[in-house]
Formats: sequence, structure tokens, C-alpha cells
Amino acid sequence: MGAGLGREHCRRCALPLSRQPNLKGHDRNVIQTFTFYLFATIVIASGALTILSRNPVHSVLWLILAFFNAAGLMLILGAEFIAMLLVIVYVGAVAVLFLFVVMMLDVDFAEMRAGFARYAGFGALMAVVLLAEMIFAVAAWNAGGVSVASKAAPVDPSVPNIEALGTVLFTRYLYIFEAAGLVLLVAMIGAIVLTHRTRSGLRPQNPSEQNRRRPEEATRNMNPGIGQGVEL
Amino acid sequence: MAPQAAEYLPILLFLGVALALSAAFVALPMIASRFTGSHKPYADKLAEYECGFPAFEDSRSQFDVRFYLVAILFIIFDLEAAFLFPWAVSLGAIGIAGWTAMMIFLAELTLGYVYAWKKGALEWE
Repeated sequence: MGAGLGREHCRRCALPLSRQPNLKGHDRNVIQTFTFYLFATIVIASGALTILSRNPVHSVLWLILAFFNAAGLMLILGAEFIAMLLVIVYVGAVAVLFLFVVMMLDVDFAEMRAGFARYAGFGALMAVVLLAEMIFAVAAWNAGGVSVASKAAPVDPSVPNIEALGTVLFTRYLYIFEAAGLVLLVAMIGAIVLTHRTRSGLRPQNPSEQNRRRPEEATRNMNPGIGQGVEL
Repeated sequence: MAPQAAEYLPILLFLGVALALSAAFVALPMIASRFTGSHKPYADKLAEYECGFPAFEDSRSQFDVRFYLVAILFIIFDLEAAFLFPWAVSLGAIGIAGWTAMMIFLAELTLGYVYAWKKGALEWE
């Protein structure tokens, strides 16, 4: 976007770009580049700290920072819904789940670290395989061998991100969406079957029974004679 | 890059200001106390004071697995709500087929909800 595009209209708010709050095209470009590098640097740094920090709880916290900054990157791309989803689902739910798992596992981390040398070779092999796959994927993408772009649904720039997503998700990928619902159902039932235990000997509160209780059921008027006790 | 991203710039600026202010509130008292008071730490002074037992131990105490179940159920219904947003926005474009698909999806998850309810997974005790 150059400085001479004052007549162009903003896609979202139908205001000409020249009337956008005191940001000319060039300034905005600089700011966006700056924020991109800010977010990208923090994502990479916190990702590295996720795998490097000794305390697994710290790892999860670094991961949360990485999620937040990835959401910022999505915002810069204009994928607002994905950005908010990243914050709601990954930061709000998945990271909490990770924390619970870290807290629940009874793992001696000093012992695990002692086995580092044993697994280092295998881990390095897996890292090399992953790196090779990534390089192949990027090379294939650049060579045009994978026609992902032609398979993807066309994006109309005048339609907001969330609406375009909904239109594609509920027409073209309808069955996949239903399958996602089934996966969620299976996950829910699986989690309940695996972790739910009923405890015996508990006396749980029953609010409806408490609310239904009337004074005549709960109290009794007694009139004991002098010197006599009350038998309950 | 997308133009609407610039609309979020004030939020980023607010976050930056908040970060700077909170950092100042942490750092300034430390700096001020370093200049005004005497700074002679030693092991006994730095030790925690708590009668009977050491106050600091491994922070990784084991959790009850029920917390995990609550978190899983939360994720699932969170995702369900997340699917509802694009559905609601694009309801005009997707027609009756999209509406039916979401109703089936909701029915599937309601089935799971009823199962969780009947199993007592939503009760704490």
C-alpha cells in the first residue's frame, strides 16, 4: 500500500483510507512491519524458551506467551476471528489443560534429565526428519508442485474473515464439521469414562430437597413435664 | 497486510503502556529502597519465616484428576461456542443445510452433555 492510495477505501469500514485516523499508508506500513517483527521475535523467543526452560510449568507459561503473540500475527494478517479463537481456545483452554497435566503427572524431572544422553540420538534423528520434511514442503510449495492455492476456497476481500470462514465451513466442509462434532463427543465421553470416579460415603448437598423442606417437617413442638427430658 | 489490523494498534499501544507502568511499579521501589535503606542480606534473613515447617517446597503438588475432567469439558463446550460464531454470522449465506448441520452438531454435543450430567461428571462431590 503506497502513499498515493488516498482514494482507496478501507475494506472494513467503508471510509477512504485518507480519512483513517491520522495514519497515512506509508506510516501504517512501517508500523505493521515493526509489529510483525516484534510479534515474530517474541513468538520464536518464547517458543525456544518453552523447550529450554527447566521447569515444566515455566514451559507452559512461555507457551502461553507464544500463543498470544501468534494471535497478534494473525491480527496483522487480517484473520481477526482466528486470532480471537487462538486466545479463547489455546490460551483459555488448552494451556490450562497443559498446566493441569504438568501438575498431575508424578514425574521426577531430575531423573528424566538424567536420561537425556540415552535419548539424544533418537531425538536428533526425529529433529532431522522433521527439518527435512519442512524443507521439502516449502520447496514443493515454491515449485508449485502442490496446487493448494487452487484447491482452497477463493477469498473475497469484501467479506469479513469470520463470514467467509462460516460460508465455507458450513457448505463445502459440512461433513468434516459434523465429524468434528463426533470427535468432540467421543473426547467428552472418553474423558468421563477414564477420569470419573464416584466416591462412596459422601453426603452431597441437595438444594431442591433443602428448598422443599417446610418448618413442620423440620421442627416439632414438645411439652415435657417438669423434671422430664425429651426423647427424640 | 490487512488494513483493519491498524484498528487494533491502540490496543497494542495500551498494552505497551501498561507493561511499562507495571514494570516501573516493580522496579522503582526496589531502586528506591536500595538507595534509602541498608542492603545487607544474609542467609538467615532471606530464609522464610514460618513456625514448624519450611514454607517453600516443591510447588508441584499432585492435583486431583477431577480438575482435568472439568478442563476437558470446558474445552469441548468452548469449541462448540467457537463454531457457533461463524455459523451465526454466515447464516444468511449457508441456508437451511447449514442450519440443519449446526442443529445436528448441537444435538451431538447435547447428547454428550446429557451423558456427563447423568454420570455426575458435572458434580463436584
